[in-house]
Amino acid sequence: MRINDRVFGMLMLILAVVYGWEATKFPIPFGGHESVGPETFPIMLSIILGVSAIYLMVRPDEDEPWAPVAMLIELGVVVISMLAFAWAIEPIGFMPAAALVVSFLSWRMGASIAKSLITGVTSSVVIFFLFNNVLELALPLGLLEF
Amino acid sequence: MDTMSLLMQGFAVALTPESIMFAVIGAILGTLIGALPGLGPANGVAILIPLAFSLGLSPTSSLILLTSVYAGAMYGGRISSILLNIPGDEPAMMTCLDGYPMAVKGKAAEALAISAIASFIGSFIATIGLVILAPILAKFALKFGPSEYFALFALAFATLGGITGKNQFKTLMAAAIGLMIATVGIDISTGVQRFTYNTLELFEGIDFIIAIVGLFAISELLFFLERHAGDGLKQVAINKLKLSPKDIVKVLPASFRGAVLGFVAGVLPGAGASLGSFISYTLEKRTSDKGEFGKGDPRGVAAPEAGNNGAASGALVPMLTLGVPGSGTTAVLLAMLISLNISPGPMLFQQNADLVWGVIAAMFVGNLVLLLLNIPMVGIFVKLLSIPPKYLMPVVTLIASVGIYSVSHSALDLYFMVGFGVLGYIFRKVDIPLVPIILGMLLGPEMEKSLRHALVLSDGDWTVLFNSGLSIGLWTVAILGLVLPIIIGPIVRAKMKRSKDTVKDS
Repeated sequence: MRINDRVFGMLMLILAVVYGWEATKFPIPFGGHESVGPETFPIMLSIILGVSAIYLMVRPDEDEPWAPVAMLIELGVVVISMLAFAWAIEPIGFMPAAALVVSFLSWRMGASIAKSLITGVTSSVVIFFLFNNVLELALPLGLLEF
Repeated sequence: MDTMSLLMQGFAVALTPESIMFAVIGAILGTLIGALPGLGPANGVAILIPLAFSLGLSPTSSLILLTSVYAGAMYGGRISSILLNIPGDEPAMMTCLDGYPMAVKGKAAEALAISAIASFIGSFIATIGLVILAPILAKFALKFGPSEYFALFALAFATLGGITGKNQFKTLMAAAIGLMIATVGIDISTGVQRFTYNTLELFEGIDFIIAIVGLFAISELLFFLERHAGDGLKQVAINKLKLSPKDIVKVLPASFRGAVLGFVAGVLPGAGASLGSFISYTLEKRTSDKGEFGKGDPRGVAAPEAGNNGAASGALVPMLTLGVPGSGTTAVLLAMLISLNISPGPMLFQQNADLVWGVIAAMFVGNLVLLLLNIPMVGIFVKLLSIPPKYLMPVVTLIASVGIYSVSHSALDLYFMVGFGVLGYIFRKVDIPLVPIILGMLLGPEMEKSLRHALVLSDGDWTVLFNSGLSIGLWTVAILGLVLPIIIGPIVRAKMKRSKDTVKDS
């Protein structure tokens, strides 16, 4: 199968066209036109990207197999868990958020629940104290603050 | 000699207790990073940059720390090659060929010791080469005008795929994507907003450190998950070291040859450490008439190891003198320099002589530390290697996120990091190389600036880009770098594969 490259090439071609078209619509800079404006370099880039995207669609490489749907969903869940960690770091605090996300990740990578919890809690506590006390970079305490 | 006195000043910087401490820490971290499968040198250095940054280390200290990490990672790569038959990074591949058979024969400790010595010789000779060559190249590069620089940047991208590159158009595509990301934000010379869509956070552009950590570290985590590789692999048990001086003398010539070849391969654009270790190995196999190459010949361990360490130091020459890195890891080191507000290039040797020579001297110190560290303490690294990735990778991811978060204390940066991680996963699935993207983000602003300078000076005449002998030469090399791999690439790749297969068969 050679679908990956064709689809990706198509997406990149769209990106190249949109990007190049946007570049032509930049406002004229203060002081009038120069021989090289803010749009010159972007337009060159969009041409390079466009040409290589077309090449990719015409002569695609062999596909690397994608993971089965179940795995892709799992990866999706992992990505969401990392985003959730990023969101939770301030309201909930670094330690609980980090302990949860590390435990979850190592559980998903195949560790037993007990061992992943130990990994998560120890690593988050150690890193918290290492950063706050030794390296003096303040990480938010969140809920643990009183 | 001028260089000598500068180097001595460098040693004065490198031998302060603080610098030695950073060199030791860097060496230990680097060896670990190199040894752990799935955590290559580029990845490791990328994770450490935001940390060095938010700790407020001085430029000299950060650079000493990170170059030691870089050198250490090259040492560390051999440990997993020898014990697991899995290269920690790509250049360490050739070390597997004889290293693993040696380990299987119950000579793991000898293989590790010999490779440590060879690594030391490789780095040491290449650092001497750096001392000699870098000032000459820097002086030469002072002749470069904007159009030569523009050609040089083009050359860097064209040769990045290397002789072994698979699909040149994908390299080109990746470079374009990276450069496009670099154009986001307020245009420096006109103040026009480009691709910001009036989002305040995008005005300053996208921070390349976030992109680097996301593209490398987060996508690696996703790959580990997908491959169910969380359990790690069985490694060969390590024996008690029995190494006589005679054994060391026997591998010395191979190490010297490997070091020189590696250095040359490292300096040249488009060759890189992988080719350095490959050439060293094949040459050694050819010159040594009778030997048991592929079955555990010590010289087959020494040559590629010296070669890849030599290349690693050699790669610093174009990075420091021209500001054009030739490999993923040197690109990441360049990111470090740029974020410290130091612009590499010929002026670096004049304006920041202290820093450059301090770092070079620190490389000598770091190497010595690494040698001392790697022979007696190899057992400790081996123990750490046996921590399964299922515990290690999540913790590494956490450290990476903490680093990113501590730079500006904003959750948005972390969203971006995860986003780049997903992008990196997709890019790797469709075989788009990540290094040109990073390099594009790093060099984009400079490249555009030199294009503008050149064209403004010539009043919009595009032929100015090709009007000096030097720039024509650079363009020629760039075009060769883009076209040659299409012809030679398949041959070299087939050879590399064949030498690997013959080992598997035997």
